[in-house]
Amino acid sequence: MKVAKRTFDAVIVGAGGAGLRAALQLSESGMKTAVLTKVFPTRSHTVAAQGGVAASLGNSTEDNWHWHMYDTVKGSDWLGDQDAIEFMCKKANEVVVELEHYGMPFDRTDDGKIYQRPFGGHSMNYGQAPVMRSCAAADRTGHAMLHALYQRNVRANTQFFVEWMALDLIRDADGDVLGVTAMEMETGEVSIFHAKATIFATGGAGRIYFSSTNAFINTGDGVGMAARAGVPLEDMEFWQFHPTGVAGAGVLITEGVRGEGGILRNSSGERFMERYAPNLKDLASRDVVSRAMTTEINEGRGCGPDKDHVLLDITHLAPENIMKRLPGIREISIQFAGIDPIKAPIPVVPTCHYQMGGIPTNYKGQVVVPQGDNNNVPVRGFYAAGECACASVHGANRLGTNSLLDLLVFGKSAGETVVEDFEAGNLSLKPLPDDAADVSLARLARLENQTNGESVHEVRLAMQRTMQKHAGVFRFNDLLKEGVEAIKAVAERAKNTEIGDKSKVWNTARMEALELDNLIEVAKATMISAEARKESRGAHVRDDALDNAETPNGRDDANWLKHTLWYSEGNRLAYKPVNLKPMSDDVEPIALAKRTY
Amino acid sequence: MSRVLSISIFRHNPRDPASVPHMETHELAEAPGMTLFIALNRLRETVAPDLSFDFVCRAGVCGSCAMVINGRPGLACRTLTAALPEHISLHPLPGFALIADLSVDTGTWMRELAESLETWVHLAAEPDIDLLEAPMEPKLAEEIYELDRCIECGCCIAACGTAQMRPGFVGAVGLNKIARFRLDPADSRDDADYFELVGNDQGIFGCMSLMGCEDLCPKELPLQTQLAWLRRGMARQGLRGIFKKKDNE
Ligand SMILES: Cc1cc2nc3c(=O)[nH]c(=O)nc-3n(C[C@H](O)[C@H](O)[C@H](O)COP(=O)(O)OP(=O)(O)OC[C@H]3O[C@@H](n4cnc5c(N)ncnc54)[C@H](O)[C@@H]3O)c2cc1C
Ligand code: SF4
Ligand code: SF4
Ligand code: FES
Repeated sequence: MKVAKRTFDAVIVGAGGAGLRAALQLSESGMKTAVLTKVFPTRSHTVAAQGGVAASLGNSTEDNWHWHMYDTVKGSDWLGDQDAIEFMCKKANEVVVELEHYGMPFDRTDDGKIYQRPFGGHSMNYGQAPVMRSCAAADRTGHAMLHALYQRNVRANTQFFVEWMALDLIRDADGDVLGVTAMEMETGEVSIFHAKATIFATGGAGRIYFSSTNAFINTGDGVGMAARAGVPLEDMEFWQFHPTGVAGAGVLITEGVRGEGGILRNSSGERFMERYAPNLKDLASRDVVSRAMTTEINEGRGCGPDKDHVLLDITHLAPENIMKRLPGIREISIQFAGIDPIKAPIPVVPTCHYQMGGIPTNYKGQVVVPQGDNNNVPVRGFYAAGECACASVHGANRLGTNSLLDLLVFGKSAGETVVEDFEAGNLSLKPLPDDAADVSLARLARLENQTNGESVHEVRLAMQRTMQKHAGVFRFNDLLKEGVEAIKAVAERAKNTEIGDKSKVWNTARMEALELDNLIEVAKATMISAEARKESRGAHVRDDALDNAETPNGRDDANWLKHTLWYSEGNRLAYKPVNLKPMSDDVEPIALAKRTY
Repeated sequence: MSRVLSISIFRHNPRDPASVPHMETHELAEAPGMTLFIALNRLRETVAPDLSFDFVCRAGVCGSCAMVINGRPGLACRTLTAALPEHISLHPLPGFALIADLSVDTGTWMRELAESLETWVHLAAEPDIDLLEAPMEPKLAEEIYELDRCIECGCCIAACGTAQMRPGFVGAVGLNKIARFRLDPADSRDDADYFELVGNDQGIFGCMSLMGCEDLCPKELPLQTQLAWLRRGMARQGLRGIFKKKDNE
């Protein structure tokens, strides 16, 4: 197959919030930039974010970045790097106000400022009471944000390659990144995008689980590409299960509903969160609420004929308020649960939602890997931001609204770093190796020639069920052990997938087979990292980690206060220390403590 | 009582010389809570592996999945099969380039629209982020938000007689955007500028007010009111333009 070559200063893979924010930086500085995306930019998954974006503007209640930082570190169960967290919390106001100027239609307070609502795990004065920190455009914050960013990119004349799927990362003998190979979905042709800088902003891989709030296109492509190219993946055992997915449908009901006063109830109508989190109650951190719900269901206090869900009740709120602040949620409940939340509570279950781990980066958006005795050596020419990256600000558990913030802060920061490196002349167009496209071509040829193979749909389903059963909300030693073998077996099957449609043009079956390769990398990373981590921390909670004085909540800081690094080759694990030191002297390190809400 | 649905789907791949447009019918057992999104995925997983259609969010907010459902444009992810008769026919949205089967290219169309109408806030000066917020009346903010809800799904274009006859007509989606920026105090453009953009037959004067668009907008945007307002504003601006010219003569 002949492979066309295109040359740019920079190529960005992904046009969700993170990709668009980075692209803006590059386009406005005049760099010749290509943005590749599987779907038209405003269809990217960021569009579905509902609840809000965190910033300590203090418009509705007193607030400051110190409190935000404390909440984020505590939310991460101390696995987040404190330098990156400080950076993000300090930058929050700037990036949110910037968006306001770009035209993002935030809700307003009576005095015209950006409206803010309470959200899980965000507190005032170091955990004392809920704070109003989430800046919202009703319950369609992601939509408003993505469109504002896109409009600004049209203004900056950003060049998009829509419906182009990146296939593999190109690295040379020095390990430097020189771009990607990509397939134009319309024609099935493969091209090389040769660039001085490559930014990944491909979003999460929530589709490794059977039940997920994520869109079908969230297949962890960037993460999979990085892993296949020898970059380790960080902290992949940590997945957030959102407490309130619509039972059965998996569609998300934002935590903003609880921020506006919604209450979780079990079969006897009890507000059970009072027992699990006396201070923040329904607004405790997501992992805490998801586990409480799972415990209620496991102990027989679930609702419905199968006692398999709990109820989210907002019937006590004023209907005008529901219509004004949560119109999208009302729409979703009516549509997907057949219930008008003004009149009856919504059936909900914890549902896979967010990937805390990802491609390891520093706060500047540079991808960093261990080399010799330095754990964080930047890979030349390679940057990442958004859900596919691990900065690491979310650690073992992300707080709601911190992801949209992460996209803005690190999307911008990655963009700024590239522009700086570019302007300083630190980026060069290294010659392409002769075999630059070989890996991709071999993958395609394998699919083309496969006979008596496996169905993509069935292998994907087997993967999703394995993940759901063996690495869910609660994790068990024996199930994890079996899970490792099971997922390796599924990965073997994925090597022999066969597609029923072999036409060149608009072949969705081929794309799904290629996406499955990426999902499989993520699933292996998750299971193997989870099996190895013999403690409970944040979203990773296992039955054999005991809660006692040395290991509060089962968290074993003496042995496990460290980031996991999983290498695809040989399923090898390595570890690196957590950065417990903030970036500046403006703040003291946030000392380890037991996490209670 | 469960039904067996019979779903007729328009099939055609314009890039494949051998492809001839035709309808293909599949039977499918209806399940509780089934949306067209679920139904189409099930068909693709079982009997029609090469079927093309678009979905991303499955929650009515990304605007990818519009198609013509039993003759009416709508979002497939928001359409419950229970609300439809047993026989369902699905066609791609007219007015956009066909990609294949039920998939059309709304993206290129929307990007061209964005460029031609300059649908971004034209700031008088670049934001000074140290100045912090630019306060806005909550009521006005709500009005802008209301219009900003457009998901660029293209249903209003598919439903619009003018858009079908006149390529380049910006449609309700475009006019609604102008209405949105016109409301926004941060946008420094005035009616004379907007008149330049939509004071013509490709814009507001091409609209015949038949309101196919408003009936079918899945986000229930108040298109009728907005179009009427804009028409009045632009007519006024048009007159002003004529008088100005006369004065100068
Ligand atoms: C339902 C829902 C609600 C949420 N609500 C909130 C909230 O209220 N607040 C909050 O902070 N967070 C929220 N989150 C999380 C947050 O929305 C996501 O983490 C975030 O939007 C991810 O953005 P991103 O830019 O990293 O990726 P995405 O927005 O997922 O974008 C990924 C981009 O990469 C492209 N891409 C992927 N693979 C390839 C490839 N191989 N080739 C080319 N392009 C590719 C895609 O086309 C897309 O453009 C929510 C998440 C969900 C699922
Ligand atoms: S105005 Fe309504 S129908 Fe038209 S594109 Fe926007 S949301 Fe769709
Ligand atoms: S009112 Fe009629 S002509 Fe005008 S935009 Fe709507 S559908 Fe088209
Ligand atoms: S899939 Fe997003 S609107 Fe239907």
